Amino acid sequence: MTTVVLPSVPALGGLYARGAAATGRLAVARRVGRAPRTLPDVVHEVRGVRADADHLTAYQHLVGESASDRLPAGFVHVLAFPVAFAVMVRPDFPLPLLGLVHVANRVEQHAPVRLDEAFDVRAWAQDLRPHRSGTTVDLVAEVRVGGALVWRGVSTYLAKGVRLAGRPDDAVRDEFVAPVPTGRWKLAADAGRRYAAVSGDHNPIHLSRLSAKALGFPRTIAHGMFTAARALADVGAVRGDAFTWTVEFHKPVLLPGTVTVRVAPDGPGTAFAGWDARSGRPHLTGRVDPLR
Amino acid sequence: MAPSPRKPPTPTAPTTRRALVLGGNRIPFARAGGAYAHASNQDMLTAALDGLVARYGLQGERIGEVAAGAVLKHSRDFNLTRESVLGSALSPTTPAYDVQQACATGLESVVGLANKIRLGQLESGIAGGVDTTSDAPIAVSDRLRRTLLDLSRAKTVGQRVAVAARLRPKDLAPAAPRTDEPRTGLSMGEHQALTTAQWGITREAQDELALASHQRLAAAWDAGFFDDLVTPFRGQTRDGNLRADTSLEKLAKLRPAFGLGLDTPATMTAGNSTPLTDGASTVLLGSDEWAAAHDLTPLAVVVDAEAAAVDFVHGVDGLLMAPVFAVPRLLARNGLTLDDLDYVEIHEAFASTVLTTLAAWESDQFGKERLGLDGAFGTVDRARLNVHGSSLAAGHPFAATGGRIVATVSKELHRRKQAEGRPVRALVSVCAAGGLGLTAILEAA
Repeated sequence: MTTVVLPSVPALGGLYARGAAATGRLAVARRVGRAPRTLPDVVHEVRGVRADADHLTAYQHLVGESASDRLPAGFVHVLAFPVAFAVMVRPDFPLPLLGLVHVANRVEQHAPVRLDEAFDVRAWAQDLRPHRSGTTVDLVAEVRVGGALVWRGVSTYLAKGVRLAGRPDDAVRDEFVAPVPTGRWKLAADAGRRYAAVSGDHNPIHLSRLSAKALGFPRTIAHGMFTAARALADVGAVRGDAFTWTVEFHKPVLLPGTVTVRVAPDGPGTAFAGWDARSGRPHLTGRVDPLR
Repeated sequence: MAPSPRKPPTPTAPTTRRALVLGGNRIPFARAGGAYAHASNQDMLTAALDGLVARYGLQGERIGEVAAGAVLKHSRDFNLTRESVLGSALSPTTPAYDVQQACATGLESVVGLANKIRLGQLESGIAGGVDTTSDAPIAVSDRLRRTLLDLSRAKTVGQRVAVAARLRPKDLAPAAPRTDEPRTGLSMGEHQALTTAQWGITREAQDELALASHQRLAAAWDAGFFDDLVTPFRGQTRDGNLRADTSLEKLAKLRPAFGLGLDTPATMTAGNSTPLTDGASTVLLGSDEWAAAHDLTPLAVVVDAEAAAVDFVHGVDGLLMAPVFAVPRLLARNGLTLDDLDYVEIHEAFASTVLTTLAAWESDQFGKERLGLDGAFGTVDRARLNVHGSSLAAGHPFAATGGRIVATVSKELHRRKQAEGRPVRALVSVCAAGGLGLTAILEAA
């Protein structure tokens, strides 16, 4: 395994441009049968990352977190994920970046990261596997403070229609039944642009109706991680210092839009769900549980 | 200079004594956009104070402290109560402070001042509350506000241009105050609709409670009960929301307003929900000595109070169900049961708020699992419930409701004790936004 040390966390904007170019190259390579079929055996690393106080405040205000000096788990994702993203835009990455869908995310927070702490990020791709509608891959990012693992994120992406070797396991998803709501999110038309401003994720599908349409969506869609971060904020202080935060993304939230939500105690932790009250179809489901 | 050698002072331990309700005064409550459409919170609170001053001969009097508040308050009204005192006929040397506990503001003002009187810190106090939805403060958007503040801190022309360039046309849209719960995005009515469905409260039961509220308030007005509790203001002589001629038929015709998206039939209408209202109320409090010195008749004693809160954010309990938990704790501490109460005043935020409260107290399962009792907490005799009507008929200018209830029930307690010569007690229960609830026991003095 090769380790590539990057001088700093790359900006997602530039990565999207590189990703778009890589997508084109990959399409050509696939046609001539020279596309990579395995994941690059590489770890990207950035050392000494620090959060900025104003950036943290803007994030906390947007997702509804208290303005603590501890970085919300979703904010660590914002800071660390571009390192993993850089793996996806490499020429030897086997899936096209454009059209990748974020279908699930799992975070283990072992200890809080404080605003004044510098941390190191290591990221790689793993578990390239067949899916009933394409191929999925896990992008893993690990965050360490003073050598100790404090945060680990696994973002699962789906490349629709891309068929690599193997057959998918026929796991059947539970049918979603809308529960009694505990709240509602009214997401304004600019919710995508506002989360883009704090996350750096300027994917055109989140920015304007025109750019979203160009990529096949009827309207702008909300960032999945924005909705997941709001759910985590709604869980509140009961989550404690060490927890797992898992989410599955189902139907995208079209903006402007209203998401009916339930965030309620369930077993050892808290379950959350967001759905469309009219159609009864889910946007996201997930849990926050104490980490033992 | 060398300090003079003297013994350190030995403060005497505070002793508690009775805190009395001596009277009250409010202005009639008006429907939003009605007679008080252009009156401010300060206008209405001052009017209610001046009515109290006139009724009890307090012109130029230095009251120990005035505590009052408003739920919807402009930031310029940071000293709303003191400013109202300065505009009233009370002595300008009367201190004041603002209180805010959502819809429990008025009752919390009473409890706080009563405690100071009991501790001997005050001889007299005036508790109050006021709210206007007609003259509600409107704020600029957060982005415009931050931009304006950053602009005021920018030092160079370049910085100012950069800050100003952040503004977008839609940032200029004003932000009206919302009654949605900040953490859930649901309005109070939508929250109560969930609780109503959870407890299976019927439309008929809600309409019957609303009808009783109107009939009882109308009867009290007709009997002159409010003649020494209310001072007309701006041409309003009775509560503007009161519909003396309403009927179950009329109430049954109204379309549901909340709970439309639920699996169960929607039951909450404009008729069995409290409308937005403008108004103000005050309550005069004092010690026995102060009452005697001012030739005032003690009406009731503020015996005890208990607050509670519920986790409605995570759906554990309904938004307005906190009093369900406060009252059992309050009564247990005082060695009382529901049967020991001659009057039960439960603020009618919605008819179903009262009915879900009663249902929870009557539930064996809820009593055991949530209240930690052996069974159901108890049943409230409907003949003792909101005997002169409540918020469904009178309206509910948020912070003014506590004062309305305390003054009304104190007069009733006094009347009853005069007639029967035995101890007479009342429970006052007010639910509030944020999953809050405040409850108190009053006893005829």
